Amino acid sequence: MTRRELLRLTLMTGAMSALGGSASLDVLVHAADEEYEGPLSSIKTGGLIRPPGALQERAFRAKCISCGVCVNVCHAMRYDAIAVAPFSSPFGKGGLRGLLDFGSPYIKDMRDFPCALCMECPKQCPAGALVSVEKEKVTMGMALIDFSLCFGWNGDVCLSCSKACPIGGKVFDFYNGEWGNQPYINERCVGCGLCVRYCPLGGSAIKVVTKRQYEAVKAAYTGDFKKLREMSGEARYNIVYGQNLPQIMARGRLVEREYR
Amino acid sequence: MSIDKQDAGYGTPNPEKKQRTGLPLSRLRRFVLLGIIVLFILQFVRVKILVGGLTGSLAVWFVTLIDIFAYADGLVSSRDFGMTALVSVLPVALIYLVFGRAFCGWVCPMDFLYELVGRMKNRSKKSELSSQRKGNISPKIGYGLAAAFLLISGLLEVPFFTNYLSHLTNFFRLLTGGVFFGMNLPVDRSVIIFSGSIIAGLLVLEFFFPRLWCRVFCPVGKTYGLFNKISLIRLSFAEGQCGECNLCDHMCYMKVKIARHIDETGLRDINCIYCGRCIDGCSTKGKLIKMRLWR
Repeated sequence: MTRRELLRLTLMTGAMSALGGSASLDVLVHAADEEYEGPLSSIKTGGLIRPPGALQERAFRAKCISCGVCVNVCHAMRYDAIAVAPFSSPFGKGGLRGLLDFGSPYIKDMRDFPCALCMECPKQCPAGALVSVEKEKVTMGMALIDFSLCFGWNGDVCLSCSKACPIGGKVFDFYNGEWGNQPYINERCVGCGLCVRYCPLGGSAIKVVTKRQYEAVKAAYTGDFKKLREMSGEARYNIVYGQNLPQIMARGRLVEREYR
Repeated sequence: MSIDKQDAGYGTPNPEKKQRTGLPLSRLRRFVLLGIIVLFILQFVRVKILVGGLTGSLAVWFVTLIDIFAYADGLVSSRDFGMTALVSVLPVALIYLVFGRAFCGWVCPMDFLYELVGRMKNRSKKSELSSQRKGNISPKIGYGLAAAFLLISGLLEVPFFTNYLSHLTNFFRLLTGGVFFGMNLPVDRSVIIFSGSIIAGLLVLEFFFPRLWCRVFCPVGKTYGLFNKISLIRLSFAEGQCGECNLCDHMCYMKVKIARHIDETGLRDINCIYCGRCIDGCSTKGKLIKMRLWR
């Protein structure tokens, strides 16, 4: 650790120990909110999902002055995807850096308020922390399908996610077979989360993680995908009927979310 | 003879002259402030005339604006703030090259909240002027504090004051957060609690030490105060009419020593927020002290 980093650390601890108190509050308040355990609960989101066109994390945090223009522009566009980030826990992976998350914008709730890639917020960010880019080049995150919950991977034809996707055909690969129309989201995914919103399964079968987190879990995730594709019919039958369908049925609530 | 004139004007209400000058400045600036706040509130019903907050905003659909201290903060924390931010800060700099520190008196929402606190306090205490005694800390501390905030921003690589402590950021964060919470939109409760407690803390500070924040600590105001030295606007004094009642000094809650400079042609004080209280309070009914943009 260089002297500069040490200084930075001590300053952070000193200046923000007073502010850190409310970090634990959020955990308390939101613990009871979740209806179902999320998809792919073993994989963490890996940090905050930033609005489209955000710079690299460090440069973004340095430039964002927390003015709230993106939050309110998103509200004016009727998407309400962007929220102001609270303190992340200083005991998490980012350590004390988590305290620096406070005040910056992030996509809070993709199940109900996904980003629609209207690209208004980068156009109107006064600080230049969000920069206008093409829709296809946005790097908010990466959507991962939970193969054990997805209808398409468990003997059904659903297509909801691919219909919701704003960049449709480029992102979705389909592996049609006797076990359904098996969708797979490739690396061109920008992570807007519209598919999360429109997945008809209660609690959604899709999770969006940051691009950096995807790099970390890529091997395991694609490994799972290949294993399922190469699995023999009988083994697959046992998994689908033995484990997956009971889970899916328990989360049933097919379209209740859409019509509430 | 001239003394007679002054005595006649001293303390006696003169309705004719008041009508001629129109709305008193202290009333007018409240309308300006409320207008701006209402425009900011209209963003929640999707009218994009003013979007964001006073730290940074989007005006009339396409003009982006950044507060000057927030710009300095971002410049230090990011090292390279880029063209977008520069384009955003230029219109603001231009406005305050003309109007100086008028931001504090005419636009800052805390000024209004502080006045409410003052009224609440005076209801129990009755004396408006008694609040002037306390808080004799040198305003120069504010510049050291602002520099310290910038230093912390540079070390943390986060706009420290603007992001965590700024009354402007937190006021509008609280406003947006509260409205979103009421509309059941995504918002973290801890953010509302944090911003609310910062604002509440400033109001408590105001209750015990009136205008200490504005006069001594607020880095945003200090930055605009520097503009006072070169801005077009200034206080100008007419010659030879002063009754030496010192009402202007009493009225000024920024503790600008006006009476001491009354013999000069004008005054450019770093702490003057052009609220117009000295003009409204002056016993000559606006003849002696004026706000001048030219000459």
